[in-house]
Amino acid sequence: MAKDIVAEIDAKDTPETSELRIYEVGYHIIPTVKEEELDGVVGKIRALIEKAGGSFIAEGAPVQMKLSYPMSIRENERHSEYDHSYFGWLKFEAPVEAALVLEKTLQADMQILRSIVFRTVREETRARLKLGTLREVRRTDTIKAPVRRVEEVSAPVSEVDLDKALEELTTE
Amino acid sequence: MNILTQNDIQHIDYKDVDLLKQFINPHGRMMSRRRAELTARQQRAVETAVKRARFMGLLPYVQK
Repeated sequence: MAKDIVAEIDAKDTPETSELRIYEVGYHIIPTVKEEELDGVVGKIRALIEKAGGSFIAEGAPVQMKLSYPMSIRENERHSEYDHSYFGWLKFEAPVEAALVLEKTLQADMQILRSIVFRTVREETRARLKLGTLREVRRTDTIKAPVRRVEEVSAPVSEVDLDKALEELTTE
Repeated sequence: MNILTQNDIQHIDYKDVDLLKQFINPHGRMMSRRRAELTARQQRAVETAVKRARFMGLLPYVQK
């Protein structure tokens, strides 16, 4: 899917027109990279964009996350599989060539587990709704409400009334 | 009325996993447009976002 997404979109346009476009890059850094070195990896991506004449609009710093499925990467003639990674993203404005170069560079980078570059819009695309309200109640959750008990009114019963009631019952 | 129209969401981001989960079933497959009550344009946008999220490991391709 990610194979030359940018190239496909930009194929219709002539290469001479190097107008600025809005792109977003998402990347997974392999978990073996130390947290201190993350800035260096992100710095490389940022430098690449800046060098190509791009400017930044928004950024999401890399955060460790669990992947939905294990991803493999070829490292020195052997495949390594990872189920965790540092996920970060960058939104930037740059010419078409910059996006193409960035896509190829990220694919070749051994520290980048997976990446995606695609065209987007300048506006904030994250949803601004409170999704906590949308989540359904888990099936395992049980609703623990106190059991309602109607308390019986226990007034003292006199022996006379009791006898009368018994007589009524026996006569019937 | 669907969630996107209710909350006036114009763009769907592939990073909004909680939002996208509203449009996939327990097996990880996308809901039909009829079930999700989306417009054709919204369905296409959700589809693109789900596919990006899957590729980036934010959503699973299949769930048991």
